[in-house]
Amino acid sequence: MRALLSFRAFSIFSSMRGLSRRRTTRLTSDGTKFILFTFAISLAAVNTGNNLFYLILSMMLSCIVISGLLSEYCLSRLEFHRHLPDLIMANEPATLTLSIANRNRRLSSFSLRLFDVIGGQNIDRGLFLQQLPPQSSLLLSYPLLATRRGRIRLEGVRVQTLFPFGLFRKAGLYPTDTELVVAPPIKPLTLRFVDELVSEGQGQSLPQRGRGTQLYNLRLYQPGDDSRAIHWMTTARTSQLIVRETEAEDQRLVTVILSLMAPDDRESLFERSVTFVASLLWQLTERAYPVRLIVGNEDSGFGSGSAHLFTMLRVLALCERQRPESDGASLTGEERSSRHDADQGHSVAVVPWSGQAISAQARSADRVLDDRQLEELTHDF
Amino acid sequence: MTFERAFALSSVLLAAVACSGLLFAQSLPLWLALPTALILILSVLQAGGMSVVRRRMARIIISPALSNSLSLGAFVIFLVDLIFFSRDLLPAGIHFLVLLLNIKLLTLQQRRDYRHLYALSLMAILASAAVTTDAWYVPIFLLYLFAAVWTLLLYHMTQETGSAAGAGMPAQPAIGPAAGPSRITAPFLWLTNGVVAMTVGMTLAIFFVIPRVGVGALQKTSGEALRTSGFSERVDLGTIGSVKQDPQIVMRVELPDRSAVSNDHLYLRGLAYDQYNGRSWSHSRTRQRSLGLVAEGIFLARPPSSRPPGSQSLTIRQDILLETLDTAVLFAAPFAELVSGEFLAVQADAMSGLHLPAPPSSRLRYSVTSQVPQLIAEERTATALDYPEAVRLRYLQVPAGLQRIDELAHRVVQGAATPFERTRAVQQHLLDNYRYSLEAEQATLNHPLEEFLFTRKTGYCEHYATAMVVMLRTLGIPARLVTGFLATEWNEYGGYFTVRQRDAHAWVEVYFPRSGWITMDPTPAVNAASAASRWESLGRFGASLRLQWDRLFVSYSAKDQLAVVHGMREGSDFVREQASRWVASLSGPSAKALSRLSAMARRFQPGMAGLVTGLFVVGLAIFLLMVRDRIGLWATLHLPIAPSQGAILQLYARMLRTLEQQGLRKPPSVTAREFAGFVEREWQAAGPLVACITDLYQQGRFSRRPLSQDELSLAAEQVGQLQSLRRM
Repeated sequence: MRALLSFRAFSIFSSMRGLSRRRTTRLTSDGTKFILFTFAISLAAVNTGNNLFYLILSMMLSCIVISGLLSEYCLSRLEFHRHLPDLIMANEPATLTLSIANRNRRLSSFSLRLFDVIGGQNIDRGLFLQQLPPQSSLLLSYPLLATRRGRIRLEGVRVQTLFPFGLFRKAGLYPTDTELVVAPPIKPLTLRFVDELVSEGQGQSLPQRGRGTQLYNLRLYQPGDDSRAIHWMTTARTSQLIVRETEAEDQRLVTVILSLMAPDDRESLFERSVTFVASLLWQLTERAYPVRLIVGNEDSGFGSGSAHLFTMLRVLALCERQRPESDGASLTGEERSSRHDADQGHSVAVVPWSGQAISAQARSADRVLDDRQLEELTHDF
Repeated sequence: MTFERAFALSSVLLAAVACSGLLFAQSLPLWLALPTALILILSVLQAGGMSVVRRRMARIIISPALSNSLSLGAFVIFLVDLIFFSRDLLPAGIHFLVLLLNIKLLTLQQRRDYRHLYALSLMAILASAAVTTDAWYVPIFLLYLFAAVWTLLLYHMTQETGSAAGAGMPAQPAIGPAAGPSRITAPFLWLTNGVVAMTVGMTLAIFFVIPRVGVGALQKTSGEALRTSGFSERVDLGTIGSVKQDPQIVMRVELPDRSAVSNDHLYLRGLAYDQYNGRSWSHSRTRQRSLGLVAEGIFLARPPSSRPPGSQSLTIRQDILLETLDTAVLFAAPFAELVSGEFLAVQADAMSGLHLPAPPSSRLRYSVTSQVPQLIAEERTATALDYPEAVRLRYLQVPAGLQRIDELAHRVVQGAATPFERTRAVQQHLLDNYRYSLEAEQATLNHPLEEFLFTRKTGYCEHYATAMVVMLRTLGIPARLVTGFLATEWNEYGGYFTVRQRDAHAWVEVYFPRSGWITMDPTPAVNAASAASRWESLGRFGASLRLQWDRLFVSYSAKDQLAVVHGMREGSDFVREQASRWVASLSGPSAKALSRLSAMARRFQPGMAGLVTGLFVVGLAIFLLMVRDRIGLWATLHLPIAPSQGAILQLYARMLRTLEQQGLRKPPSVTAREFAGFVEREWQAAGPLVACITDLYQQGRFSRRPLSQDELSLAAEQVGQLQSLRRM
């Protein structure tokens, strides 16, 4: 029995401790004035012994107590759920949605100001609810503009209320530990530059017929042709059986390698290089090139389409610069270069820092964009 | 009504209530009260939305410079008022406060102005509390509290709305109701009134609990003291007559042991006089002794050992609330033995009169235990009494030249054999042969007593009592005159006597060696119109409420707090005792039955009872654990408190819990539909059930159409089926 009681006491104590950890109460400027008035009246009551002063003092103290009770009631039994996109782009506004539900059975919650908690800091998104009726929920949407790529950890939602009298600002933290991945921004690249980049290494050869998805040629049907290749629209228009020939994709494979090696003073160039790679991948995907991205240990494999692009952008969003003295980084670079030799397609290495560890990797690529070239290409980013 | 309109109205009403407190306290002169009332009425009408007043008031534009000039002017008026007119800081300060309040009411524009208005209103209600203790403060205070709660709440709501709109990035509700109405809705109305009720309750609770550490060191007198007469060292015959028509309340006397005395009258003794010079009464010994303390705040006026041996007396306890009088005399039934109250010292004179060192500056509350001497039977029939020399010397004094009175006295007592009969004969003579009238103005006469006895034969209590004392003294019976109050106005609602100025009275104390000083009153009863009309009854009810206000609020002290604590402790002891008795009476039969069962079990197998009980408890716990989901399902569907949205949420949560038990956990980043697809791939048997519940969940949660009872039943059925499945 004693053990049960002590367990209950412990659980009550820990729940109270948890509550106090998640609740903060601060005086507002109006509250400070109110407290000062209360203090002055208490002095007057004590000095004069006038019971009517004590009555007014009691009224003011009861306002303070009721402020605490009602604000706590406003913040209790709220539930939050986030709905986040899989990937957002840096410097492009994205819309986040937050669902808030009031599980109180009878009373509304009033004057709720909501903040995102990121890195322990309250970020004001201008979210304010004057009233949330009992047993109701609301879906709020708000814009988010991420200024740099990476991972944004949304630790929770902090709710503040000044209800009922505006004397105290009570805040409660509701953990909704979710992550948002921010891809590097996409910058425009000149078409000529992209054409030049990918045509090199393929001997400026014309596209050849073969297996693929892009249209290469239309010709008359010949016996033995696959009937699935008949291009019905043209057949109908010309009244002749026309088949569709596709461009050989293995001739158009592009591998983009991003070197993570860069000293601290190349931080800016490294970030711009990441942006460049993202923009390049975007352009290539737009042109339906099968693209492969290699970043450090990460290898996306060949693929095309938006889903593959988002996979690659996610890799770029989360990649981190490595200092040249890191032994592990050098090894992975060597390993990557050896693996790359066996792969097909045209390869482009983006090297923001041309150190010794990188040169082996650069040598294995068909086209190497070194720091000087990258500086020229990305100085407008 | 919009929040903005309600906010403006409640703010002005708050100021109006605070000002009305000062008006009721008569703290405002007419030159200030009239414009204040006018400005308040106009402000209320303007805030209330009367278009004509709004238009007219909109034309009055007071610039900040003019507002400052007006405030400066008000300060100059304050200085002039303080130096030349009021000559006291409190009234001059109140006038200044009201002037500022009026200026603020005329220049209400920004939120800062409203804050200033609230501060001024608070000071105004404080000023009301400083200048009054009357019961009208109760409704004013309650109204102020009501207006204050509404105003603070609306101030905050309007401020939050404004700042949210000004932030530039208001929340966009994607799905669901709007972010909240900015009008006063019925729920908001009830909520705010509920907050008011809570505040009132908590205010009272805190008021009674908050420690009274103050000693009233700087307390001011609340108004002028009541002028009394007849309680000084020397009393001219006829002085009491001047107050005999004054209805002002002097004191209220409660009798905790009500059965000890009758409700029709109570003598409250003030001072006694032993020397009469033909026109006025005085004391022969003015020396006063300080009473000793027997406990904190309790003074011993007369030790029980001082009573004459064999005497009989009646004990009367009184709780007295004495208004501020201009005399230091403490009144009580004869003769006080114990006096308790919040005073530092009490003095007593040689004739058992009680005095404070100085007239009290505020209302006084004290308790007295008195012993009223009763005439013992032996002295009633004794033909001669042996008076001590000191008593004869002091209480047989009469002025010279009273032969006619002497003759009258002897004529009246002819045939009376005992001193007591002679006393009664004199009393009866005065009662029968003289007429009570307040119109007899005899204070200016040279021989007022002879004038009363032989010429006019009309007078009031002083004349009757003086005549009786002098006549008894001429007969050799020691007697003295006593002044005080004769309480006759019993308040049946509050259970106390209301004593007014007009109840001032004079009567006689006659000395009997073994019985002591016996009170006798020769004044005939006044035939006052005593028809108890409904209005008088209502008046007594109001007076009773006022007394409660005085006792519970105005005079509430640390001593009362201790009494409340003791009362609660005693009450809780009583309740505990009653509860234990009740439990014992209930548990008796069942305990008997249980003990019989356990005895049987022990006979059958030692320890079997404990084993069976333990197994039963453990089995019950396991059973409840197993069927908790079923109970939850049943409760979700059948309990009326869960609306459809809440029910489907609970069902969905139950489904997630069931799936988690089977190893399929829903990550927070996965939507409900994605998770349903995932389940379908991973656990095909559960796929259709989960898909169905998910559809209903999404419909119930995100669509505007609530789920029907059939759909909820379907969802519950699916969850039940899911719980019965086992993943291979």
